[in-house]
Formats: sequence, structure tokens, C-alpha cells
Amino acid sequence: MRAPENAREGCFNPLITHEFEENRNVGAERALPHVRKRTDMALSLHSAPRKIWQTLSSIKTGVVLIILVVIFSAAGTVILQRPMTDADDMERAYSPTMLRFLDATGLTDVFHTRWFVALLILVSISIIAASVQRFPNAWRYFARPYKSPDESFRRALPTQAVIAVVNNPIVNNPIYNNPGFNNDEEQGLSAAERAFKHLGLKTERIVRPDSFSLFSERNRISEMAVYIVHASLLLIFTGFIVDSLYGWRGFLMLSPGTASNQIEMKNGSMRTIPFSIRCDGTGEETYADGSPKKYWSKLSVVDGGRETSRKEIVVNDPLVYQGLRFYQASYGRTGKIDQLILDATPANSTTGTAQEITLAMNQTVALDPDTSVQLVDFIPDFVMQDGRIYARSKDIVNPAVHMVVTSKKAHGSVNVWLPPMPGIDENASSPYTFDPKDLKTGTYTGLQVSHEPGQWAVWAGVVLMAIGLTFVFYVVHMRFWVVPVRDAQGGTALWVGGTANRNRDAFELKFKTVVEQIRKELQPEPAATAPADATTVSGTSVSRTVSRTTIAGR
Amino acid sequence: MARAKVEQQPATGTALIVMVGLGMAFLLFMAFLNVVKSGNILSEANLLFAALVFYAGAGALYLGFGVTGTDSYLKYASLMTWAGLLANSGAVAHRWYEAGHPPFASIYEMLLSFVWTLAALTLIAEKRYGVKVIGTVTMPVAIVGVILMQLLPSEVRPLVPALQSTWLHVHVTLAMLAYAACALSFALAMMFLIQDKVKTEMFLAATSIFTVGIYGAVLTRFEKWGGLNVVAWDAQNKTEVFVSRGVRLFVTIPDLGWLMLLVFAAVLAPLVLYILSRVRKNESLLAMADRAVFISILLQMLALAFFLVRVRGGQYPSLDADGLYATSLAASPFILSALVGGIFANLLYLLLLWRRGDLERLLPDADTLDRITYKTICIAFPLLTLMIAAGAYWANRAWGSYWNWDPKETWAAITWLVYAGYLHMRITRGWRGRRAAYFAILGFAVVMFTFFGVTYLLPGLHAYA
Repeated sequence: MRAPENAREGCFNPLITHEFEENRNVGAERALPHVRKRTDMALSLHSAPRKIWQTLSSIKTGVVLIILVVIFSAAGTVILQRPMTDADDMERAYSPTMLRFLDATGLTDVFHTRWFVALLILVSISIIAASVQRFPNAWRYFARPYKSPDESFRRALPTQAVIAVVNNPIVNNPIYNNPGFNNDEEQGLSAAERAFKHLGLKTERIVRPDSFSLFSERNRISEMAVYIVHASLLLIFTGFIVDSLYGWRGFLMLSPGTASNQIEMKNGSMRTIPFSIRCDGTGEETYADGSPKKYWSKLSVVDGGRETSRKEIVVNDPLVYQGLRFYQASYGRTGKIDQLILDATPANSTTGTAQEITLAMNQTVALDPDTSVQLVDFIPDFVMQDGRIYARSKDIVNPAVHMVVTSKKAHGSVNVWLPPMPGIDENASSPYTFDPKDLKTGTYTGLQVSHEPGQWAVWAGVVLMAIGLTFVFYVVHMRFWVVPVRDAQGGTALWVGGTANRNRDAFELKFKTVVEQIRKELQPEPAATAPADATTVSGTSVSRTVSRTTIAGR
Repeated sequence: MARAKVEQQPATGTALIVMVGLGMAFLLFMAFLNVVKSGNILSEANLLFAALVFYAGAGALYLGFGVTGTDSYLKYASLMTWAGLLANSGAVAHRWYEAGHPPFASIYEMLLSFVWTLAALTLIAEKRYGVKVIGTVTMPVAIVGVILMQLLPSEVRPLVPALQSTWLHVHVTLAMLAYAACALSFALAMMFLIQDKVKTEMFLAATSIFTVGIYGAVLTRFEKWGGLNVVAWDAQNKTEVFVSRGVRLFVTIPDLGWLMLLVFAAVLAPLVLYILSRVRKNESLLAMADRAVFISILLQMLALAFFLVRVRGGQYPSLDADGLYATSLAASPFILSALVGGIFANLLYLLLLWRRGDLERLLPDADTLDRITYKTICIAFPLLTLMIAAGAYWANRAWGSYWNWDPKETWAAITWLVYAGYLHMRITRGWRGRRAAYFAILGFAVVMFTFFGVTYLLPGLHAYA
């Protein structure tokens, strides 16, 4: 996976030759099957698809594609985008020709154009191709670890040490007396085993017809981590694509007490959902300084004629039902009157007391047995012009109410306006004067509705990516080999080698402690002169450990 | 300008320590007198002031260390950084307690957390990795941060509904950590380039491009007849003035635009001289470029001073509305930090120009720096990933969709892609040394754009920071 790339790249910086050499040599163990595989593919595939495949899987293609994604997404943040900008603003910002060009190329809606989606799909394919291309080798490496290093590998490995085995005549066990058995080698390897065990590493004895060695490793899974990350990225992309194909977003506006199953989509069309949402109440809370603190809506789901779910939603806490999510998106006043609270005082009598009445639209309330009042009109934002009243907007800015006071005694009705409208109102002839106390206008809640069936793939991908990245960056696959060799003087020595797939400077320290520990274990049984060094070995006598592992190993 | 030779100062250098110590004792004593009068000792402002005094002392000593290489300065400098961090932690804790949420909700609070993170990272880098000179760079930034905080509105503001989410805190904490790690990798990559014997004039070019970029961005607010547009500020409600929802009201400060244009020319001059010297292979032009940097620093300071004076006092007309409106530094945090940042970058260049020999002696070797840069990015990248994920999850709860292609989101994704590119190049292609360092610097440039540029230049939903 790493080796062929590096070999081609060459060493351009003397600082790094070290690491490269290591890569190449670690690669040597995998190089052969790799070459075989390549030729197989060359035979079985026609050259054009093979070329496309190779192009797609190369790192260079990946980088070019990523650069393209970066450029176009950056363009999408600089150029105004249709879905977020009003058409008027677009026309103000760009000249007509420019706008036509931008629209034609899709640059006004970069993130939803076909070619951008195609680009993202190409990136996914490139990730898949690169992973598939490199996976077999990595898998072989993972599934069949290189346990018994040959001579060329041993020569080239950068992190290695040779430790002489001092002849130790203490072992006098019958099983060692068979011919061809090298006492020193056995001693050396078992010392190494104890050293690894002391450092918390598991060891394995590798016995081949021509060699006899020790292998130890940790966190082999780390070699697969990068595939976990790539898989997670693909999972996220899958979720994304599913959402862009099958997901939708819309808007639902409800007043308290109403229910609806019609969702207004972005393009203005309506979508019917298989159940209704009923709003049982909505409101806002503000801080002491008037800034908004909380918007809430009490929602009920009416499915098949009965209420199946109920929740008070707030911003940041939506209602979820059958894969649809209802978010608190907006809140406001409808511009319709809900309740008007007034004090009504008899006009002609000085002794009359005020009574508080509550009026709703078109509601008639009796003030005394003869007189009643009815609310007939509400204008949320009035202006008076040329003696007439107009409604300027639906926002409650400058409200006015029109009431009709009917009196049986006077056999007539009087138009009362609040506030008084000179020339229109007949407030003066009304038997009652009215003093407005409170105006309660209707509220509505705006719900964002979204259906994102792919989001679970996205979240699963995110979790998987977190795991994968942890393995990629923080879990090191380290390997150690111990091979008995002859040193220059003809005595037995231990060749100790090690590699790690990342964080090599820390690994070198670890390697040093391993070598130190083996040295310590190789030292002859502690004499009375060196009690301090003896502590690590005491407890397990050399001969006992040797015989046990030997039997287990053969 | 003559390149300074390595000067071996006597290793004792107690004079500076004594002076800094006395200065700090004086400041703290004065502050104490004030506090005794007001009777409220452990308030946030006092803690911040103490932090400022300690950081300033540490900064002076770090600078002394950076310039003379006297080891005894370093010991006291770290000690003061510890003290400053303690006071700063107190301020953070106080804020957290008062507001009832972690201090990330306004620019003031972000700055508070940022300075805290910076001081903590300085100590970690120094103790753990032995990058002793780092305080020379980070402490001035911390000092500027604390001073900026004094100018920003600091009262606890209640959170608007969209921000009332645990995910906000997760998201912002991760963002702060990720950005801090990116900043650290940038500083380390720069140090690597110094140790890798990159020519000093390359740093001149980089600094000039950076400064030209800053003034270019500031000049996007240039208005006809030489004015400079800044956001209007409502001093009573301590908020920006909005024309309509999400659209801020800009006021024009007359003549400030011309000054900015002048400074733009001044910061462009070193770059032009550098390019000329490269084209004509003329070394004497480089000396002129260095002089031009010096002049541009003076002019930049002038621009900053004028900006401070004109923004703080006076009312200005607006093109979009009748009447005069006030503005405030709090309304233009990005311009302010850009101006300060420009001066700081140029001063760093002067430090390099005059004291390169000392710097090379003090910094770890190139190989180590290269490795630590990579390690920092190995920390930054997962944090960036989680930051984006937490942001997406929060957006999904607040706006109904985990990905809206909002400019901030898009640029966060671009940042992520750039660092992903760095990691791929390093791991599979074996990019080391300079190429990797340039890539790390590019990555941080994108981070800076995502953090400042997007908020300043591009509109979007992500209007909080």
C-alpha cells in the first residue's frame, strides 16, 4: 500500500531517507505478491478499462478531484445562491448577462447542480477505487503477518540491534541433550520472551524448517484503520445521496386549535402527509430585556382519526414521527384578533361603574338589558386618508377596532371606533364609552418539516469515522522480531528488529527499552553482588521458563 | 539594514527581571488600592486585569528571552504565565458561573476562552516539547486578546433560543481546540522554515502578502470620497444596528478610507521591492524592502491609532439611512483584530530579521519541528472532524438539516479537505520538510479565512461568530 508509491517518488530530502528506506523494506515483504497480482490484472482486463481504473485509483486523481470540489464549493460561498437569496437581490447583484451565464452554468446553485453531484460521486468512486486497489495488499499484510524475517529484510531494517548471548552453563536439562539443539539460542530466545512478557507484549515462537525465531506485535488492526475511515466517508456520502434523492423539506403553518396534513414545499407545491399535526398552543417567552428566550409549540399527531403522539417542541428539540421531523422554525402574530378586553362605562350617568367585557370577532355581548355591543371589524395596521380607513399591512402596528353598539331604547345602532376616527366614528352618541385594556391577537407557529431518510447513515458514518481516526492517529501497530544469529566471533547473538507504522520516534524509545530488557534478562543468574538488577528476574527461574515454553512451542 | 550578529549577553540579566517585577508590583498595587475602594475583589474585571498584568510581565520576559537568550528570564516568564493562567481561569470560571453557560456565546467570551487556551498551550509546548521560544510569539497575542476584551461589550447576554443547546458548547469547544491546534501547527511550520534555512526575504514576501491581504480586505469597505464603512453600534442596547433582519447598518467614517489606502500602498511597497529584487537580481532592493517594512509598521500603527480614535468618538452619516449614528470598536472586531494582526506579523518579521541567529539557536532542530508539526495536525484533524460533526448534529436539531451548504459549513468542509490532503500527501506520498510545512501554512490560512473571512465577507446563517 505504501511501498510502491514511495519507491516511485524517490528521496528528495535527505531528512527522510531513513523513513523511506524503512517503508521500502517493510514493503519488500509484500512486494512479491503485489507484482504477481498486477500481472494477473493486466492479463484479465482490457487495457482501456484498466487505464480508467488506474487513473481513478491514483492519489493524483483524488487530489485533483478534491481541489475541484474545493474550488467549486468556495465559488458557491462567494456567488449568491438561489435557494438562499431572493430573486430581486440576485438581479440587483449581477448584470442580466452575468446572471444568465451564472444560471446556465449552475453557479447560482452550485450545491444542487448535476455536475457538482457528479463530482461528488466521482470523488466517492475515486475513494472506492483507491481503497479497492490498495486493500488486497493491506489485507494480506493484515491477515498473514510477516513473522519470520529473512536475511535481506534483517539487513535492511533500520531499527535493529544485535545482542551477544553470554554462555550460561546453568541449564542441564535432559531435553536439551538431543543433537543439533543449540543451548545458547534457546536461552537467548527465552530471555527475549521474558523481556517481552515483562513489557506486556505477547510473543509467538516461529518455527520454520530453516529458522527458529520470535515474533511479537501489538495493534495489528491499526493497519486497517484507514479503510475504516474511507468506509465511513462513503457511508456519509451514501446518506447524503439518499437524502438528496428521497429527502424533502417543507413548511407548515398552524394556528392554535387547527390541524393540517398539507406541507408547503420550497417550490410552492403542497405535499400531503399520511397524518395530521394539530397545534394545541404556541407562545414565546422573553428575557427581561425583551430579547427572545424561548419559542414553544404544543403539537399532537392525529393519525387515523386518533391522537397518537404529543409533544411540546422548542427550538433545538423537534417532534419526530414516522421519519418526519417537525422543527420550531418561526413564530408570529397572524394579524387577526383573538380577544379584545375593554372597560365599558355608561356615558350619560355619572354614577355608572365600569364593567370589563371581553369580545371576540363578531361576538355580541350585552352591556345592560337594553344595550349590546358587537365587534365587527379589526384592522391591524390602519391609515386614514381622505376620510377613509385603509389597512396598510397585516402586521399589528397600528390597530383599530370597529364595534357596533345597539340600543333597544334608542331603536338604533351606533358605530364606535377605537381609536376615535374623526368624521367616521359616532363615539359621541354611544350610550357607553369604551376604554381598551388589552388586545390579544392570534398567533401562529411556523414548523419546518423535514424528511431525511439518509441521516442515519450519516451519523453512523460519523461515529465510524471517529473510531477510524482514533485508530489511524493514536493506535500504533508495532512489530518485533528476535532471531538467533552468529556474531562475528562465531558466538551466538540475538538479532532484534522492530518497526512501527507511525510515530516512529516514540517507537524508537520503546525499542530501546525492549533491547535493554532483553539484555537484562540475558545476564547470568544474579550473583550476590548485584541485588538491584536481580529484582526483575527473581520469581521465575530461567530453567523453568525455558522448559515450559519449549514444550508449548513444539 | 545590517543583519544582526549573534550577541552573547551575560547570562545573569537580572536587570530586566527586576524591572518587570517592580512594574508588575506597582500595577498590582495600584489595582489593589482601587479594589479596596470598590470593595469587590474577586470580580471578573479584576481577575482579567491581574491576568493582563501577569501576561504582560511574561510577555516582556519572553521577549527578553527571545532577544537575548538568557535562560533565567524563561523561568520567571513561565512562572508569570502560570500566574496569568490562574487569574484567567478564575475569570473564565467567574464568567461561566455568572452566565450559567460555558463562555462561548459572544466574541468577548470566545476571546476569553481563546486567551486561556493560548496560555495553556504555551505552557504545554514549553514543558512537554521544549519549544521554549514560543512564548515570545503567543504572549503578545494573549496580551492583545485581553486588551481587546476590555473594548468589547462584556455583560452577560442571555442566549437566543437557537443557541440554547448542549451541542453548541460541544461544537464550540471542539472548534476552539481544533483552531488552536491548527494555529500551533502553523507556528511550528514557520519555525521549521526558519530552521530549514529558508531565506529571510521569503518571510518578508509572506509577511507582505499577509498584510496586503489584510488591507485589501479592509478596503472592501472603502466608500466613495475616501470614507470607510463600519457597522453602526447602538450604545444603549449594546448591539449592532440592523436595517432589517440580518442586514446591518453601515456608517461611513470620512477620510479613514484614504488613510487605509495609503497604508495599503505602504504595505504593498515591500512586496513590490521584493519582486523587483527577484526579477533584477538586485540585493540592494531587498535592503530597501526591509526599510519599507519598517515604514509600513509605523504607518500601520498610525492607521490603528486613527481607527481607534475615530471609531470611539463621533457620529457618522450612513448611506442607507438618514441621520447620524455612532459606532464602536465592538461593532468592528474583525477590522480591529486584522489591523493588530498586521502590525504583529510585521513585528515578528523584524524580530526574525534582526535576531535570526538567536532564534536558530533557541529553536529545536528542523527534524523535531517537522515531526511536531505533523503530530499537531494529527491532533487537529480529528478535532476538526468532530467539530464539523457536532455542528451538523446541532444544525439538524436547530435548523432541520444537518448540512445546509451555508458558507461557514462549506468553508469548514474545505478546511477539512485541505488537512485531509496534507495527511494523504504526508502518509502515502512521504511529503516531509518544506512541502509539508507550506501545506500546514496553507491549512492555517484556510482556517483563518473560515474563522474571520467568512464572518466578515460572506453572509450566512452562522452569524454568531
